[in-house]
Amino acid sequence: MTSLQSRLDEFKKSFEAGAPPYNATREAVETMHRATAELKASGLEKAALKVGDRAPGFSLLNQDQVKVDSAELLRRGPLIVTFFRGHW
Amino acid sequence: MMELEALQEINSEVRALGAQIVALTPEIERYTRAVQKKLNLTFDILTDLHLKTAEQFRLVFVLPDYLRNLYKSFGTTLDRFQDETEYRLPMPARYLIDKEGIIRAAEVNADYTIRPEPSETLAFLRKLTT
Repeated sequence: MTSLQSRLDEFKKSFEAGAPPYNATREAVETMHRATAELKASGLEKAALKVGDRAPGFSLLNQDQVKVDSAELLRRGPLIVTFFRGHW
Repeated sequence: MMELEALQEINSEVRALGAQIVALTPEIERYTRAVQKKLNLTFDILTDLHLKTAEQFRLVFVLPDYLRNLYKSFGTTLDRFQDETEYRLPMPARYLIDKEGIIRAAEVNADYTIRPEPSETLAFLRKLTT
């Protein structure tokens, strides 16, 4: 199975080469690099919760509009929580 | 999206270990539903409306104006996707939380093109449950 990182690398390479359907311009790619570099330099990632911290609880609606409660999930076992930006 | 697909590939092993995956995004249900269907996910996507939970994990950043404009030109209208006018996003992050609610593995990267392998998360989970 191909690793996630190699899939990401391949996508990035093709995106940055201006491949369809995105047809990203060089200027757009540079803008995105700048934004990532600035966010990295801000040190924000170091402020995020880390190993040993207590995870905040949450009660949120799923894709079917059903409320899902983290405390309830944890009663059944450990939880893998992934944060992602969106469908785009 | 690619990360969700990769997590789907380990979901049956995660379930077999008595654990669960949930994915949080600031997007409203119209989009979480579409993503779940498109990728055939067997775990939930939760709408973290207005990034309330991401804020508590300290993952939220505000997009600079120049990036906001670029995204808009791509049709990435976060105000519509997230039902708020601010252009904010969570940094990509993956956490493993034990039954007591303590974070046992954490992977946060300001560079969204770099993500940990699901197999690494699975290894942490195995250590935790055996």
